[in-house]
Amino acid sequence: MEPTSLVARVLAGDQDAERELYDSHVDRVYRLVYRMVGDGELAADYTQDTFIRAFDRLATFRGEAALSTWITAIAISVVYNGQRKVKRLRAREVDLEHADPVAAPAREADPDLKRKLAAAIEGLPVGYRTVFLMHDVEGYTHLEIGSALGIQEGTSKAQLSRARAKLRQQLAEYAGDLAS
Amino acid sequence: MMDEREDRLDEWVRDAARDYNAPPPAPRAEMWEAIQAGRRAAPRPLSPFRTPLRYAIGIAALLALGIAIGRITLPSRTEAPAASPTTTAQTPTQPVPDQPTLTATPNPGSRSPAPSSGDVRERSEVAALFATGDHLTQVETFLTEFGTRPPATDFAGQAQDLLTNTRLLLDSKRVADLRTRRLLEDLELVLAQIATLNPRQRSQDLDLIADGLAQSHLRTRLRNAIPAGSAIRL
Repeated sequence: MEPTSLVARVLAGDQDAERELYDSHVDRVYRLVYRMVGDGELAADYTQDTFIRAFDRLATFRGEAALSTWITAIAISVVYNGQRKVKRLRAREVDLEHADPVAAPAREADPDLKRKLAAAIEGLPVGYRTVFLMHDVEGYTHLEIGSALGIQEGTSKAQLSRARAKLRQQLAEYAGDLAS
Repeated sequence: MMDEREDRLDEWVRDAARDYNAPPPAPRAEMWEAIQAGRRAAPRPLSPFRTPLRYAIGIAALLALGIAIGRITLPSRTEAPAASPTTTAQTPTQPVPDQPTLTATPNPGSRSPAPSSGDVRERSEVAALFATGDHLTQVETFLTEFGTRPPATDFAGQAQDLLTNTRLLLDSKRVADLRTRRLLEDLELVLAQIATLNPRQRSQDLDLIADGLAQSHLRTRLRNAIPAGSAIRL
């Protein structure tokens, strides 16, 4: 079914169409959100919030971008806003840990390469990280990323290139082993 | 040689990153139930075609509130002309001991007894509180839409309307709470930025606005300032 006619049916109050729209997009949204937050409960909360907002604002969807891109843009906005709150809470927790040096002994460099990579991805600036996860991990095109993030396609490419360079830099000490 | 190594490293990173936060299957049914419940609980949104009407009603309500505050806070002026003949006809310079003074004279022609100044202040403060809550709710809705809709969407008109209301509230002495005034001042800046977005430098301006919103924690401060329920309507 054409996305526009599906949208029209949802706007007309067709409950089956609502479910159809949800089923068509939920997996992709959940995958991306989970990649970004790494927590099942948070990912489910953000995905639900994304669809609640999408249904509420569907009348404002004018078809300038694909429906999937429009929903992805909402999802990213929901994640960014939600993660700001989570970061603030975590920052408070970190403050508490700093107050009690016994509570959190510092770990030495992790020998596990994948964990090192995960830490390097976590350490990327949020914009680079989002583009990297969308393109290299979830397979979005630069056009889709640009539309969803409200940036130019070229900016998306540049951010991906910088993200990869930063990851290479972080993993430089292992580069010899990997290249061989 | 170096490029080859970089390419190989990039390839390894791409492969290995697939395990990063690897998502399990989406809990479709549970999420669908939660979405349905969430939508039932939330108020139905207004049609976008009614949005200009909504803002017009908002402005009219604010104006009506301003007039109401003006009338409540100046009751003695309307009563003065009716009361003056009964007193000035006697002795204009020296009040007669048996006659009530001008301010205390009950006027048979007046609509009702004048409320005490404490009541008046309390009523106008409550009215201002309601108007502020209502306005902040509208701004929060607007900023959320602003953050999620495509960059090409034209927000200038709505921002201008909200900016006008923000300035009306800032000009009102009834909004005395310092934190609320600071919040309104910060909102004034952001709304002014959105209202005057330059179409040629749109993406740069949008980035600046987004940074400003994030740095001043405006959305969070807005949510904290909005009374529970956030559906106050005059």
